[in-house]
Amino acid sequence: MEIFNNLIFGFSVALSVQNLFYCFIGCFLGTLIGVLPGIGPLGTIAMLMPLTFSITPVGALIMLAGIYYGAQYGGSTTSILVNLPGETSSVITCIDGYQMARQGRAGPALAIAAYGSFFAGTTCTLLIALFGPPIAEMALKFASPEYFSLMMMGLIAAALLAPGDMVKSLAMVALGLLLGTVGTDVDSGWARFSFDIIELTDGIGFVVIAIGVFALGEIVANLGDPEERIIFTTKVGSLFPSKDDIRRSIAPIIRGTILGAFFGVLPGTGPAIASFSSYMVEKKVAADPSRFGHGAIEGVAGPESANNADAQCKFIPMLTLGIPASGTMALMLGALMIHGIAPGPTVMTQRPDLFWGLIVSMWIGNLMLVVLNLPLIGLWVSLLKVPYRMLFPAIMLFCCIGIYSLNNSPFELYLTAVFGLLGFLWMKLECSPVPLMLGFVLGPMMEENLRRAMLISRGNPMVFLTRPISLAFVIATVLIVIVMVVPAMRKRRGDITG
Amino acid sequence: MTKIKIVLLSAVILLAAGVANAQNYPTKPINMVVPFAPGGASDLVARIISPLLIKELGQQIIVDNRGGASGNIGVAYAARGTADGYALLLGNIGTMAINPALFPKFQVNPVRDFIAITQVVDAPTALVVHPSVPAKTVKEFIEYAKARPGKLNFGTAGPGSNGRLEMELFMDYTGTDLVHVPYKGGAGAAAIGLLSGEVQCGFQSLASVMTHVNAGKLKVLGVAARKRVKAVPDVPIMSEQGFESMKSGSWQGVYVPVGTPRPIVNRLFAVFTKVMADAEVTKRLNDNGVEVVTSKSPEEFAEFMKNENDKWAKVVKKVGVVGE
Repeated sequence: MEIFNNLIFGFSVALSVQNLFYCFIGCFLGTLIGVLPGIGPLGTIAMLMPLTFSITPVGALIMLAGIYYGAQYGGSTTSILVNLPGETSSVITCIDGYQMARQGRAGPALAIAAYGSFFAGTTCTLLIALFGPPIAEMALKFASPEYFSLMMMGLIAAALLAPGDMVKSLAMVALGLLLGTVGTDVDSGWARFSFDIIELTDGIGFVVIAIGVFALGEIVANLGDPEERIIFTTKVGSLFPSKDDIRRSIAPIIRGTILGAFFGVLPGTGPAIASFSSYMVEKKVAADPSRFGHGAIEGVAGPESANNADAQCKFIPMLTLGIPASGTMALMLGALMIHGIAPGPTVMTQRPDLFWGLIVSMWIGNLMLVVLNLPLIGLWVSLLKVPYRMLFPAIMLFCCIGIYSLNNSPFELYLTAVFGLLGFLWMKLECSPVPLMLGFVLGPMMEENLRRAMLISRGNPMVFLTRPISLAFVIATVLIVIVMVVPAMRKRRGDITG
Repeated sequence: MTKIKIVLLSAVILLAAGVANAQNYPTKPINMVVPFAPGGASDLVARIISPLLIKELGQQIIVDNRGGASGNIGVAYAARGTADGYALLLGNIGTMAINPALFPKFQVNPVRDFIAITQVVDAPTALVVHPSVPAKTVKEFIEYAKARPGKLNFGTAGPGSNGRLEMELFMDYTGTDLVHVPYKGGAGAAAIGLLSGEVQCGFQSLASVMTHVNAGKLKVLGVAARKRVKAVPDVPIMSEQGFESMKSGSWQGVYVPVGTPRPIVNRLFAVFTKVMADAEVTKRLNDNGVEVVTSKSPEEFAEFMKNENDKWAKVVKKVGVVGE
């Protein structure tokens, strides 16, 4: 079969000593910046780009790609250990991963995250190899109406499935939507809610809220509760996942991979949606949803696989159609062009060594990352044994460096502190910040797509129902609402009559 | 007596240290502000030219990304920089020629607060259309558009983007009526809209659409550049098709804060001109669809910038785009 020939050819390219070396550097650097909050693959790739001028195109791309998905692996490490999301997509891992760490099960959490990510990476590599171009073509069928319906479904599902009190969740979603409106209006260019502060005209940064609410809020809460702290730092259990853990994780990993691949291929979705949806789905299908938020391993396995699948699959539109699905992909595109290669439908035939070499090196990179990260788990876990009074200033320092590294903006640091306080407040009020994050991420995108869809249809709302894919999502939304609301209503009636 | 001598000696040394001497320039690292986040077109140019700049100047060049607010945050920061040649700004058409009209209340005025050194690049924009539009030249497109006013959409990176303003200029000149559809997420997002056929046309940077043009997914009808571009040699430039004022696309240039001594301005002009003439740098830029265009003198660039400011101010006023 031709595919095997191509893969073998890819192996011959990727397994050269030089390219393996670049792969290693990329993965190592990627893990490092994934662990550090704030600076992400985008900034790193931009900074390292001039260095790649002297390397061969294949080597350069392998290294840059390694940085990119290495960051996904690294981001989950700090999410689990200290509730600090290293990457936007690792925010969800904080929820159950950190709780597992508090129960002394950081080792299994990290291990399952690594296994799940590896599985997702392998599967997506195969997907790209087998179905790359047709998948990308299909993704082009998604236009504004489809994106809007998809996101509306996601938002409603999130509001209804969120942990805890439904009223509180809805309130948090609404707050997230409001926070998302801060920024520049997409149609008119007017600044909204910026209060004449120039840094707010682009909106509040996702990282600012994530680090403030999750990491800083957690630190403040911990400091206020000395008892909890002692348990946290002394109880460190086994480093390996139990058989039970593995058994529970298999299905979430598969589901997460599918979801992540789906969102990864669509150019218009952001980085966090894959992991958010995976968490929602896992919570819905779990036998005992109340375990979520208290250290359910499914809440780590699913989202981690999803975000790795998402990261890998974002290469598809870039390589096969030349469409960058995110800022990082745009940079990769630029890097390729600097080396004189124009990605697109012709790259598979014109530069097969590049295409297949990159695909195979993706798999090798994933393998390398598992090999790199698993032994380090012991090291990371022992970090938790550091007395908290020394640990938390270090965390705060990394947070500050990370946030500042994004835009060199002191204002964003102040804003992070404000969200730290708010995060602490919400924790005390038992309002989960997850619906807020989701509203914050989806709100602006929904609004943009809604207005654009209406603009193009010249004000005809039927456009969401006349286009088949959009209609499918709308129907799914209605079904979800019925499924969630009807049992509650029936129960109410039952209470009244019986 | 000794104490006074020491004080006087220290005073002399300190005074000497304060003098920015063009012959010694540069003696410490130079900060080059790019008013956009890493990964964008401006940033790419900065990173391509900095290795050779470092060699020529003998000092480190720090690429300082300060993105946000359409580049205004970076411009404001650069305007506060010291006027001694250690604070450069890599501005572009947006920040230096369009924003002043869009944001009249903004405290920095590029013409007033910066000294223009030289243009460095021009990224030609092109009038691209979706294959469903049966036009092969700009003239045919105008006819097609005139026949269906208000029916065609054009995609841009935002209401104040140069793609939008160019199209407004086009519509004004040709009497056509197209509907503006903005995309958040920069040029990439608008290109996706074009590919899916959601929007039928638009002025896009040639570089970002080349792969699609080569694959036959998009058509280029005209290029806004000074002369025909190597990537699409058969496509006439806009000025050949009757659009005299569309001779440049998205340009970038180097600036220093007003008050920088003339010898340093001249030194920087010489260095940048030399770096931009380098074959390797030119090749890397061309591969990204960016042409090297330099000015004959700082005054010529300042003149160009003023003309651009006037040109876009007229368009902004007519369209009524408001920044804030």
